[in-house]
Amino acid sequence: MPNYLCLQRSLPGGDALGDKPSPAQMQAMYTKFNEWREKFQNNLVDLGGKLGGGRLATPAPPPDGPLIEVKELVGGYMIVSAASLDEAIHVARGCPGLVCPGSGVEVIEIHTPG
Amino acid sequence: MTSQLGEHFFRHEYGRLVSMLVRRVGVRHLAAVEDAVQAALLAAVESWPRSAVPENPSAWLYRVAHNQIAGELRRQIRRGELAQQHARAALDSTNDAPGAVLAGDVRDDFLRMLFVSCDDAIPVESQLVLALKTLCGFDVREIAERLFTTESNVYKRLGRARARLREVPLELSDLTNEQLASRLAPVRAVLYSLFTEGYLSSHAEGAIRRELCDEARRLAAVLAEHPLGATPETFALLALMYLHSARMPARQDGSGGLLLLEEQDRAFWDQDAIQLGLSWLARAAEGDVFSRYHAEAGIAAEHCLAPSFSETRWERIVECYALLERLAPSALHTLNRAVAVAEWRGPAQGLAVIDGLEPPSWLLGSYLWSAVLADLHRRCGHAALAAQYRDAALRSAPCDAVRTTLERRLRVR
Repeated sequence: MPNYLCLQRSLPGGDALGDKPSPAQMQAMYTKFNEWREKFQNNLVDLGGKLGGGRLATPAPPPDGPLIEVKELVGGYMIVSAASLDEAIHVARGCPGLVCPGSGVEVIEIHTPG
Repeated sequence: MTSQLGEHFFRHEYGRLVSMLVRRVGVRHLAAVEDAVQAALLAAVESWPRSAVPENPSAWLYRVAHNQIAGELRRQIRRGELAQQHARAALDSTNDAPGAVLAGDVRDDFLRMLFVSCDDAIPVESQLVLALKTLCGFDVREIAERLFTTESNVYKRLGRARARLREVPLELSDLTNEQLASRLAPVRAVLYSLFTEGYLSSHAEGAIRRELCDEARRLAAVLAEHPLGATPETFALLALMYLHSARMPARQDGSGGLLLLEEQDRAFWDQDAIQLGLSWLARAAEGDVFSRYHAEAGIAAEHCLAPSFSETRWERIVECYALLERLAPSALHTLNRAVAVAEWRGPAQGLAVIDGLEPPSWLLGSYLWSAVLADLHRRCGHAALAAQYRDAALRSAPCDAVRTTLERRLRVR
């Protein structure tokens, strides 16, 4: 099965951070995340992590002009394996907190030689 | 996976971490401490499910929260908001992390935070909110929901408490034994009102009310098991909480309606809680003190021990209410004694108890007063008076569940 890279992105105008969750809400998030992880354990290759700031490295000093804005990646990344793009999206969508108001997830197939 | 962490792990860790850090960095930094604890819990939610729950989750959280608060204090110094010498002690004291995570110390920190919150310069309703926020880990919205008030009211109450703690910061470690002793009664009063908020309220759904009762009992247990709070009054308070909680599961029928004591299926009473309540009550009797909590626990114990409604030892209950009236005079206690006397010696004797009693307006306007009078007059055959009080009771019922129960009870048969 191919692997897919899932990138959590903020949506234009969205505020992915929102209100601070209360401890009780955090407990609920934690429980849901674990349930999701158990349900899709066969699909989860790498649960990844949060992404911080970044910079584009180029062979030559970067030219002026539009660069990849790493800042807009608010959430994090993970790698899932699935039979199809649709299935990968289904897995990613089920992840609590990954697809929430103000943020979405970009699912990209990873081609591996072979 | 999830089972490793208790049902209320995050909420309870919140109270524990706030107490530990406030003791180390000072009461004046309470708000910053709460932010640091919030951030640490959030970091746990984000990282634990991806890797694994650390071997000692509490120590992990303490370390992260402690780094957060230390960083914040350094930022405040850089921005000139905090004098270096004030922060120096605070920052130094945060270096003792590993040894501080001993369970005994934690309970001590937790209780001291409770004692600091129970400052008589802070109005009781603000003390209550402060305890729910800092020790029980509820946020403002959740507190408002549980106390049937608005979020802005909760903010206002919280603001009053925090202002006092900022103006006259009493450090947890500086509390003298005299101060601790003098605050013991107010601490019990706050726990008692936290419990009654949950137990007596007829508004919200059962699960939410129950949570307040459970929290009050948890705090009272910490108090009873610590040398600072282990007195007969505390034991009696804890006993009454257990004995009331034991009967909560039977108070509602399947559809959320309220059941009268005589309608309740006693098989649903929680026998473990009853046993715990009785053993705390036995410990409460070891001293020579008899407090209002003793009287109330005694009443609850009689109900729990009665095999059926008709076999209740009403004379004992009447006696306890009489003691309660003496210790904590209130027309409500007299009204309750009237109900017990009516069961013991008949409705006319019950009416005689409240004959000539002039209840305060809050009681006069409440459904309790009208309902008891309607019931006693009905049973005495005073149809006109019974109907009059019945209408008043139904009009002042706070919610449909209570109204339905009253209609059933006060129906003319």
